[in-house]
Amino acid sequence: MAKNIQLIFRETFYFVFLAWLVFITLEIIFPNIILAYFNLNFLFLLEIIIGLFLLIKK
Amino acid sequence: MFFYLLNWQKYSKIEEDMLNINIKKWSLVFRLRFIFSLCLLIFVLLFLYLKIVPFGRIAYERDYSDWLRSGKGFIYGLTPSERTDLISGELPKLIGDPIYFSLFTPRTFDKVKIIIEYRDHLSADLPIIEAGVLTDKIVWNYDLKPLENKNIDYLRTKWSETSKEGVILLQKEKKYSSVQELENDLQQGNLIDCPQGIQNCLAVYNYPFSPSLKIGGNNIVTNEPLLIINQPLRGAHQFFFSLSSSILKLKFDFVDLNQDKDLDPIEINLYSGDQLLGTWSKDDINTAGELEEKEIEFNRTDLKPGIYKIELKISNDIVIKKIESSASQISFINKIWPVSSAGNLALYTDASYLQVKAFSPASLQPLKFGGKEFIVDEAYKQFYFPLLSTEKVKEISFKKDDLILENNGVFAWSRNSLINPSLTKVDRFFEMNPDIKYLIAGYTSPVLKNDFKVASVELNLKGAYRENGKYSLMISVPGLKEGNGGDNYLEIKNIRVELKGRTLWQKIFN
Repeated sequence: MAKNIQLIFRETFYFVFLAWLVFITLEIIFPNIILAYFNLNFLFLLEIIIGLFLLIKK
Repeated sequence: MFFYLLNWQKYSKIEEDMLNINIKKWSLVFRLRFIFSLCLLIFVLLFLYLKIVPFGRIAYERDYSDWLRSGKGFIYGLTPSERTDLISGELPKLIGDPIYFSLFTPRTFDKVKIIIEYRDHLSADLPIIEAGVLTDKIVWNYDLKPLENKNIDYLRTKWSETSKEGVILLQKEKKYSSVQELENDLQQGNLIDCPQGIQNCLAVYNYPFSPSLKIGGNNIVTNEPLLIINQPLRGAHQFFFSLSSSILKLKFDFVDLNQDKDLDPIEINLYSGDQLLGTWSKDDINTAGELEEKEIEFNRTDLKPGIYKIELKISNDIVIKKIESSASQISFINKIWPVSSAGNLALYTDASYLQVKAFSPASLQPLKFGGKEFIVDEAYKQFYFPLLSTEKVKEISFKKDDLILENNGVFAWSRNSLINPSLTKVDRFFEMNPDIKYLIAGYTSPVLKNDFKVASVELNLKGAYRENGKYSLMISVPGLKEGNGGDNYLEIKNIRVELKGRTLWQKIFN
């Protein structure tokens, strides 16, 4: 169970990072497409929190 | 052998278990990745949908009472900061005029409906609230539409009212049963019970009608200019001129000061009423800091004697040095900015107030308006000089130039040149004249919602100025001045914009 949770967190980490990259790319191509609705800093913060959690668990 | 088989069975069971675990693990990873990829795809498609707006309709909103914002939003700022108070109350207060805000749109649209929820703390001398969009950056022109007009709201309670598709007709005594009936008479140039002409008994507000007045002419063909204005004027101007023959000759001499590094194109539009008859323009290629002389001359032989309008769309970096015309009268509309004169200027106006701004400290001076002396003692500040006078034409005299003079009437260099075919406008200086019997306006009164008023304006975005994906918008309370002790202000609770444009299919196939 614990391993599964760690796996879920690891996959979420990958997903958040990929989403962040995709959104930044979209934002570069079409300015304000994401930022008008959503602040990407929140996503970055989530990424750091998950990353720290994974590091501590390791 | 037995042991081998036993071990084989044992090892194969272990391998099988391991394989099962791997399948389970892979399956969870696969499932997670599948779900996440799907989520990401949905998000990307959603954002692309919101970017393209394939159905051509979208609405954005900014609630100023809500402090939490997940994104930057689409409606930015209420500026400049000296005319807004963002800290003393829960809602932003507009304490000066005008206030600007911008609207980011991911693509272009044709029309916008702006719905504003507000609470006004405005005195009776500030009866009008308007909103509009920037249509021309060179002359800084906003297409303003009414949010609220308390003068009309008051008359609605007293006069008889009929309406048609956002146009209201108020009548002192009911003579017309519909707006259409009055419009038909307007096209003919006469109204019931108006023996002195429509200009004396009809007031308008946000109604696109300006009479194209025909005057008696003798069709004399003349090649010599009749009227020459040698007084240089700075920046954009509009003027009415009366033509007594069928030949129009206009020649403008300009000087591009090149004080700023922007390009200063020149555009001249000729109108009869609201109908555009012609456009003449000159591009600018030189932004270097030297004076540059330019000239535009045009002739028309197809015009009937009457009153026409010229719109000079130029920046403040350009001076109109000289106007030569075959017109017999020229009157500048709403604004005049004389510069480079030898001193002792005399102008005439038909309005009962004057707004004056000195463009430099050297222009501070006393000024005579309708025989009364007023003092302009601060540069860049707009002064308001009201006059209680029964005279129709008032003289303005002053010694130093570089004063920007504005009012809701016209200015002319001689008493005889004063012509104003405009109808009485129900603006903040509107005074109820007993001769006025009809009022026609494109206006809808605001509605009350809880403690707030909700009003809306519909604007055309087709010709609107858009830079970096943003439209520039304005909220105007004419006469509202910052620094009046905070007695008068407008609180904004919510701004909602509903945009309408072409659909994706129309864009592809048309």
